[in-house]
Amino acid sequence: MPQGQKAPAMSDPRYGSAEQIMALSAPKLAALLKDPSATLYAKAKACQRLAVVGDRAAVPALASLLGDEKLSHYARTGLEPIPDPSVDDALRAALPKLKGKLLTGVINSIGQRRDPKAIEPLARLIYDADPEVARAASAALARIRPGI
Amino acid sequence: MMITSKPVSRRDILGKGAAAAAAPLIVPASVLGLSGATPPSDRVTLGGLGIGSRGARVLQSFLAQQDVQFLAICDVRDERREAIKSIADKKYGNSDCKMYADQEELWARRDIDAVLIATGDRWHAPLSILTARAGKDVYCEKPCSMTIAESRALADTFQRLGRVYQAGTQRRNGVNFNRAFDLARGGKLGKVHTLHAEVGPGDRWPPATTHAWLPEEPEPPRQVVDWDRWLGPAPWRPYNSAYVQGKWRGYFDFHGGGILEWGAHTVDLCQWVAGLDGTAPVEYDPKGMGSDTPYTVECRYANGLRLVMRDKGFMGLGSCAFRVEGDAGWVETADSGTIETAEKLWAEVESVPREVAAEATTRHVRDFLDCVKSRKAPRANALAAAQTHIACHAAYIAFQLGRKLRFDPATDTFPGDEQANRMRSRAMRVPWRL
Repeated sequence: MPQGQKAPAMSDPRYGSAEQIMALSAPKLAALLKDPSATLYAKAKACQRLAVVGDRAAVPALASLLGDEKLSHYARTGLEPIPDPSVDDALRAALPKLKGKLLTGVINSIGQRRDPKAIEPLARLIYDADPEVARAASAALARIRPGI
Repeated sequence: MMITSKPVSRRDILGKGAAAAAAPLIVPASVLGLSGATPPSDRVTLGGLGIGSRGARVLQSFLAQQDVQFLAICDVRDERREAIKSIADKKYGNSDCKMYADQEELWARRDIDAVLIATGDRWHAPLSILTARAGKDVYCEKPCSMTIAESRALADTFQRLGRVYQAGTQRRNGVNFNRAFDLARGGKLGKVHTLHAEVGPGDRWPPATTHAWLPEEPEPPRQVVDWDRWLGPAPWRPYNSAYVQGKWRGYFDFHGGGILEWGAHTVDLCQWVAGLDGTAPVEYDPKGMGSDTPYTVECRYANGLRLVMRDKGFMGLGSCAFRVEGDAGWVETADSGTIETAEKLWAEVESVPREVAAEATTRHVRDFLDCVKSRKAPRANALAAAQTHIACHAAYIAFQLGRKLRFDPATDTFPGDEQANRMRSRAMRVPWRL
């Protein structure tokens, strides 16, 4: 038990503790993300575990959370390390659908993955009215093509 | 008419101002550096970000230096802001220390040269990087990063911007650790073949972290604790007062685990004594991954040197033990200041009293301040710190996966191990990014 933990940790009524959720297979974790009865907690833990074990099959479930205010960052956490081009497709597809912080986060993830196909949409976003979005787009472009 | 100007630094103004003010009657002696005081033009002006209990001890080491002026504190907790302001104001006999809840305001202070960062670990690398980008030098408490990617970004940023960085791995300036270093580097141990680093003792700093969340509690008003800012780049989770009261260690989102907790010091000493500050081991073989201690991670450098990270089996010389073994002898020391060696080396080295060993932080702070002025690299500079942290992160990744890993320090990758490679970075919460 971590230092100072006095109360029992949270758990999901169906999926259980963090340890139990993170022991699930990748297909079960992806299914959990689509389960409307799963708690925010369970979905957050599933995203974190998919960062390590998720594959192409998990991408649609993770990408479906990019527009979720509370889970978008967790979805990015799951997606960013998956070494499959479908992740880049999903992140690019999310760009026109999002605004504000959620859009900024997706741009940051695209930058992390250095997706060269994103150069054109990112180049448009550097003129976005939201300065945080514009800054993120510039930073992502700099990561994708350090020379520009 | 075109008006041209060149940037004018604080020291330019102070220097010229002091020279112009030749009339001694209106200039206090301290301003001119008389009576043993340091003139303002030679003082390092300091700000603080997130100073808690450990940070306050480091701050005292800064305040003990004649050439430091602490100007401002930024913290997400009002009681912490007040506490640090109180310390500074008491020291200077005024009420000048400014308080901020937003680090942007502190970074905007052009009169601040350097910043002491002592937040929780999740903030260390991003704040250090952003502080450097704001044109300031950084002294940052350890652990300095949460991931391999953060470690590399830290080193790259400080190298590119030419800012001075000192990690809070003060044992590099500890007298007893330096004596052990001299013994090993002076050849008295013969050819060094094995290094031993004490990593978090399992009973105090368990190697593993948990993904658990504590139960939700009502979030306090933002001016009391800004929970969103406290979380910073870490994933959102519901508020619980235990976290903000310092009980955040052991949670994966906030803490790099027990290997990093002490390894940031002791692996650092090993890298230093081996002259391998620019690299990291190429193999990591974890043992004893269950909940039972002892545990070890046996590592090997490209030159064949062994590094053993372990939580037990040292000689009981205090915390943060490290040991160097060569074919002609060995040396071991820790925070007590006692130095043990092979019998034939007894005459070569002397232990130091605990109080002298405890001066490490003050010496480390002095090293930083001297480098702020000279623009040289301090002992625990960003590259050295980054490589130490990369070694500790790699060890913890091997520990979590429960298998031996190979690592390429030139690319910061685990060749042929996709899972391990995925664990080298974590997505940051908006607006933070590397």
